Amino acid sequence: MALAPNALCFGDGLPGAGVPCGVELCVEGLRVGPMGPSSLEDQVVAFADMAVEAGGLDHDQLVVSWGSGSSARTVYVKDPALIVAFRRAAPPQLTAHLERAAEQVRRVRHSHRLVWGTVLGILIGLGLLLWFGTDLMVEWAVARIPIEWEQKLGETVHQDFLSKETVLKDGPAVSAVQEMTQRLTEKIPNNPYKFQISVVQSPVVNAFALPGGYVVVFTGLMTKAESGEEVAGVLSHELNHVLQRHGMERMVKMLGLAAVVGILLGDQQGLTGLAKQVGMELVTLKFGRAQETEADVTGIRLLSDARIAPDGMIRFFERLSEKDKERVELFSTHPMSAARAERLKAELAALPKRTPEPFTFQWKTIQDSLGASELKK
Amino acid sequence: MKCEILYPGAFPMVRVYLDANETVKAESGAMVAASPTIDIESKMEGGFLGALSRKMLSGEKFFFQTLRASRGAGEVLLAPTVPGEIVLLELDGVNEYMVQKDGFLAGAEGVKIESKMQSLTRGLLGGEGFFILKIGGTGQLVLNSFGAIHKIELKPNEEYIVDNSHLVAWTSTTTYNIEKASSGWIASLTSGEGLVCRFRGPGVVYIQSRNPGSFGNWIRQFIPVSE
Ligand SMILES: [Zn+2]
Repeated sequence: MALAPNALCFGDGLPGAGVPCGVELCVEGLRVGPMGPSSLEDQVVAFADMAVEAGGLDHDQLVVSWGSGSSARTVYVKDPALIVAFRRAAPPQLTAHLERAAEQVRRVRHSHRLVWGTVLGILIGLGLLLWFGTDLMVEWAVARIPIEWEQKLGETVHQDFLSKETVLKDGPAVSAVQEMTQRLTEKIPNNPYKFQISVVQSPVVNAFALPGGYVVVFTGLMTKAESGEEVAGVLSHELNHVLQRHGMERMVKMLGLAAVVGILLGDQQGLTGLAKQVGMELVTLKFGRAQETEADVTGIRLLSDARIAPDGMIRFFERLSEKDKERVELFSTHPMSAARAERLKAELAALPKRTPEPFTFQWKTIQDSLGASELKK
Repeated sequence: MKCEILYPGAFPMVRVYLDANETVKAESGAMVAASPTIDIESKMEGGFLGALSRKMLSGEKFFFQTLRASRGAGEVLLAPTVPGEIVLLELDGVNEYMVQKDGFLAGAEGVKIESKMQSLTRGLLGGEGFFILKIGGTGQLVLNSFGAIHKIELKPNEEYIVDNSHLVAWTSTTTYNIEKASSGWIASLTSGEGLVCRFRGPGVVYIQSRNPGSFGNWIRQFIPVSE
């Protein structure tokens, strides 16, 4: 006999709420026994003597009845495992109508689920449209992300990235990039970021900016550039990606609703976790065309403000795109179209003419130092 | 936990004895007095969303107070808001009760309470909101009513018709349908709905001898309208 009651027994002379009893399957049928002192007698009910149906409030209980008149008994079984076992063991003709009813219930549930699923789908679709379709929404969400947190995220990805690369600690190239950054950042009004620029020893012709102000310049870019102004042009563009929080906007778009909700609820832990998952994608992130244009325009203005010849960037792009398109990684994230060049030139023409102030370094010296370190390796 | 009903009748109270570190779930606001060894742990039953679903969807302050005898054995006095009888039920792990929103007063530590959505038609027509409480587990369960509590025992397939605003609780072996009342059902006509529940046994249905809605209407006529 089972140790704990698993069913309720009803019938004449038994309490209205039912008597707790133990029910178990046996070869002939069901063994039903009382739990504790009760007027219910221990008995075996043969499959042939019983009638079964589904019952209870949710129609999820197995109802077994037998006997007639004052000795009629009904047992309600709720344990799903026992019900399954019973349906397997009982002769088919006994449970056939039960299976039909169950099938009907399943079908009704299925159609309900279909309806609710469709409704839910439409709601989610509308939600997605709202969140993703509107860049305004994304910007709104991003504006709610604290800068410190953005820095924490950028720092994590940055560390992760640098750990696999050779970083130049000092030398003429590092000082040169620091000078460019210094000239640019001191002209940024109300700059909330502390930019950190790393020079990475690599033939890759590229530079990128992570959220929070972490900029990486590859030595490949510096060896390809014909002047400091060209590198400064790329830097200025990248700095402006950070200032406009383009990385965060892409992140929010990529992570979608979950991130936005996370931001709203202030659940930074969850968001940080999510961010780490897509962290490395930030490095190879493609910005949208609108974001590139914005970074171009604000970048060229910043160059002008910093009195760095602002045409360096255009020349750099144009020259490289003519020569070796395939080998320059910068173009995979920054495709240079004629329209883009035109836009940059127009912007350049509209800027007030300022006399550029040259850098303190000789570009040739910088490149020579890079060549030397290249040889040393 | 041991419960004792004090002053049975219209204005009863429940005395709950707790052993050291034992808990009782009580409807928030039901505690009248307690030993100094009893602490209130105002935790939400069923987690954030569980409490939310009860709070938001059953339109109720269903935020349990868990009272714990954390500093030694002691007793708690609990009383319902409305005048009416209190009934003690013993849950043995097999039986289960569906309880009307306002019917729950207290439950032992082993008593499990979940809010359950009624099928749309039942909820809409029944006028009880979409959620009722499904109470199972083991231990004592304390229900309260408005007026006296009357117990109806139903044999298998036996039927009984109850005005839905008089419902307190029923066993989960009992099924029911909402029906339009025939013209003789004065109580439901005053509540404007004219709807009743047709219960089908086996099981037990607990009903209350007074209808809170009707009582509210009746009392409203004595309240002077100002302004
Ligand atoms: Zn860019």
